[in-house]
Amino acid sequence: MKRCLVLTLLAGLCALAFASTAPAAPPADVGWEFPLSGPYGAYAEEMKRGVEMAVDEWNAKGGVLGKPVKVLVRDSELKADVALRRMKEYVDSGINIIGGNLSGGISMVINQWANKNKVLYMSTCHNSLGQGKDWGYYGFTTGIKSYMTGAALADFAFEKLGKKWMVIAADYRWGHDQVAAFLYKSKQVGGEFLGAIYTPIGTRDFSAYVPQILAKKPDFLVLSVFGSDLVSAIKQFGELGLSQRVKLALPKTAMPIMKECGASYNENVYGAATWYWTLYKKYPNAKPFVDSYTKKFGRPPDADADSGYVGAYTLFMAMEKAGTRTDVAKIIPALEGLKWNLNHGPEEFRKCDHVRTQTVVILQGLGTKAKGWDQAKVIAEVPPSKTMLPCDVDRADTVYGPIRDHLPGK
Amino acid sequence: MSAKQKTQETTSYKPYSWQAILEFRAMWVVLALGLVLPFVISKPLATEIMVYALFALAFNLLLGHTGIISFGHAGYLGAGAYAGAMVVYYGGVGVWVSLLAAMAGGTLVAVLIGLLAVKRKGAYFAMISLAIAQMLYFLALSPFKRWTDGEDSLKLPPLSVDFPFHIDLSDQLSLYYFVFVIVALAVLAQWRILSSPFGHALKGIRENEDRIRACGFDITRIKFLSIIYSGLFSGLAGGLLAIYLGAASITILFWMTSGIVVMQTVLGGTHTFMGPFIGTAVFLYLRNNISNYTDRWEMWVGAMFMALILLFPEGIWGTIVQKIGERRRPSAS
Amino acid sequence: MELSWEIILMQVIMGLALGAIYVLLASGLSIIFGLLDVLNFAHGTFYMLGAYAMFTAISLCGNFWVGLVAAVVIVSLIGGLFEITLLKRLYGTDQIYPLLLCFGLGIFIPDIIKMAFGLIGKVVDYPAMLQGATFVGNLILPKYRIFLVVLMALVLLALYVFMKKTSIGMIIRAATRDRLMVNCLGINVSRVWTVGFMLGIGLAALAGAVAAPMVQTIPNMGDEMTVEAFVVVVIGGLGSLGGAALGGLILGQVVSFVSLLAPDWSNVSIFLTMALILVLRPRGLFGEEGRD
Repeated sequence: MKRCLVLTLLAGLCALAFASTAPAAPPADVGWEFPLSGPYGAYAEEMKRGVEMAVDEWNAKGGVLGKPVKVLVRDSELKADVALRRMKEYVDSGINIIGGNLSGGISMVINQWANKNKVLYMSTCHNSLGQGKDWGYYGFTTGIKSYMTGAALADFAFEKLGKKWMVIAADYRWGHDQVAAFLYKSKQVGGEFLGAIYTPIGTRDFSAYVPQILAKKPDFLVLSVFGSDLVSAIKQFGELGLSQRVKLALPKTAMPIMKECGASYNENVYGAATWYWTLYKKYPNAKPFVDSYTKKFGRPPDADADSGYVGAYTLFMAMEKAGTRTDVAKIIPALEGLKWNLNHGPEEFRKCDHVRTQTVVILQGLGTKAKGWDQAKVIAEVPPSKTMLPCDVDRADTVYGPIRDHLPGK
Repeated sequence: MSAKQKTQETTSYKPYSWQAILEFRAMWVVLALGLVLPFVISKPLATEIMVYALFALAFNLLLGHTGIISFGHAGYLGAGAYAGAMVVYYGGVGVWVSLLAAMAGGTLVAVLIGLLAVKRKGAYFAMISLAIAQMLYFLALSPFKRWTDGEDSLKLPPLSVDFPFHIDLSDQLSLYYFVFVIVALAVLAQWRILSSPFGHALKGIRENEDRIRACGFDITRIKFLSIIYSGLFSGLAGGLLAIYLGAASITILFWMTSGIVVMQTVLGGTHTFMGPFIGTAVFLYLRNNISNYTDRWEMWVGAMFMALILLFPEGIWGTIVQKIGERRRPSAS
Repeated sequence: MELSWEIILMQVIMGLALGAIYVLLASGLSIIFGLLDVLNFAHGTFYMLGAYAMFTAISLCGNFWVGLVAAVVIVSLIGGLFEITLLKRLYGTDQIYPLLLCFGLGIFIPDIIKMAFGLIGKVVDYPAMLQGATFVGNLILPKYRIFLVVLMALVLLALYVFMKKTSIGMIIRAATRDRLMVNCLGINVSRVWTVGFMLGIGLAALAGAVAAPMVQTIPNMGDEMTVEAFVVVVIGGLGSLGGAALGGLILGQVVSFVSLLAPDWSNVSIFLTMALILVLRPRGLFGEEGRD
């Protein structure tokens, strides 16, 4: 018993000694986390690389406020609990600017925690942070508000593809956002809605839905799913002859999707993305980014890389402008008024909801003509004025909220 | 052999007594270390270790002590987390009620699995528990989305404890100590359970089920109770997890969580009491640190785990206990 | 949405094709469990390896069929290697240890594949002759799905012939029932186990290889397949090959029709089916006494 007590006391003393040698300064300026392991690793890797490019670029110019800037990037394993732990650890070690993530849902969880704890959070994915009750003063988005890509694609689709439409949507917030956007635009232009099917995330087989879709003969089918669900769907629709008869509209598409679908991603597939690398032809500022990224990583950057890059870059810009690397209370106002012209033309964070005002590109697939990293053609670009709703509407969620709460077929 | 030695042989044959004392001391050492843990490693990691250690101990009630392989323990954890979170979200209750609800949630799932599978052995039980847990995952993900918020996680408002005194759970250190105290109490409770005649019956079932049955014990009832206890403590861990996260997240229910608790338990040593606790601490710490160096941390974890199974199946603590045992007992006679 | 007979027939065909994948996976798992008493928690990983081996083989030789055979052979050999060098050491210990070893393998291998092939998934195309579908009025008959059904039937037939009519098959059946006796008869049971394991793995690899054109081929593609394969085996009854086959077919139909009528429940339906069958027949459809 006595030996036990002595051991315990010794252990406690050692621990205290250990603790007192802990460093006082925060280990980095910004803490990032992305789901680097797990099924979305390809996208997460892009975001991470974008961040690293921004860091390298700033440090080559002398850093922020004269000192090199340092960031930490950790794996969130696509799990909310791990992501939260990473964020908490960053804050625990003194970092109070955090960023990242790929999942809109996890972004919301982090955003809620960040706002509770007055930590600046820069989200780099498609999310609904700027909408409704999920908004918080400390949250920013360089990804995009989910409904914006749906709205942009809807504008394009109703104009160019036809008026009769159906939708298959993944049964969670992001999926619903797209349905709501399409329903809203459909009503505005007199589109004919033929039906909605909601599939759980992780659906591998979409063949069951083909007969009904073919029977209803829509002009286009909105595929509001992502990841492996989307790849399976496109491949199977190609196999079963659906995409030869009905155009496909994807509210979110990305390079990995196009590569993984191969020839099934044909000229009948239209997708929306926040950026595509061939945009450097239109925005010369993007060319150095595309060139150095391609040189460093052997492939051109994708929308996620742009998101990470701009997220980090604007943080550093704001730090310079505010004259501080750590005082969040000064950095946030600096971010709010920030304007920049990086890969995508002139952009800014809208002051009222902290969302990046960016255009949405509509990409058309190339099918068998696709080669290497040339997987799609930019056929339209929709400005934010056509996709972003006014701030007060968004914050009160008066347009999409009611539609989302009463989705047909739910 | 002298007469004295003979008596010692026959009267001192209590197979677990020295081990019981060793485990008892280990428990206190670990709990003492727990008091200072948040100053050694990060507070969130320390809190997670506590929660998952409790979960692992609850899991080991079945595996190590009763001999039942359960691959669906994520179901209890998740049920606890969601039950605890939902009463707060929809009912606006306080933390203590939330934890009670969490324990109830875990117990309920345990009853379900117990009724379906208690008479099954080995592989069947593992598979059924796995399937039930995975079913709960898919239920929470899709059909029951409107109550669980599915993929988007059920997010909780800031929590605080008001009774017996005010603790602000938004503060990471206070949160840790709150979790620590509850986990410590639960660990002590489990110790009591395992030292009781019921606990000894569990060991008997693990060692030789037919013999215990021949001694007149009602195996089914005992196993069922064991499953219930396991579910109860796992549910409690789940409730604590939801409080720590500030949300009930769907990934808690995924079957990989069950797999990981098995790994943590085996890493520490399933044939011991404190093994799961130690295994969890080591596992979470390693996993956290390896991923700081490489994205491919799963490769390292998988490889190390396989090496562990092949070389040290008794786990870290289990092997230590084994070595101590070997040194205590002289090889002759 | 009215249910015309064409839609119902289509769903049945889709269900059979879905079932084909389940049957292939579950038979492999059943053989491994029946023979070796090992719950192969890396079964989904070998499914994934089958898909990647298929991709690699096709990249090298350009032919779908050659790729298919190569994939099955290569992955079976990998399985055999694993069994001989690592798994064998754990026979005779607590049932949980081989299970955990497989589980560890299932975590280890996907990362290796990520390092070797990168994070973006791979494309495996349908063979030219199986592309597209035949349209009979409103009825769509996808050629590849019909091929899957035919393949499944052929594989089941081959397994039946193998198990019942060949001497190796007979030895495997005997070793499943009573390994001690088989050993006493002078047969090297150890080698039988390796062959059995390789057979089981080969079936998983085949499932992955034929699934590759239809789904996303990424290193994590097998993670959920393991659980579903286990569900099928439990439905069929642990240790029964016929049960695994029937279970797979049933499950294919269930998922197909639930996807059509209540997509929300398509993932849950697998487990509900299992729960239902267990309540009615606690050992599964053809489960045997003492095979717990």
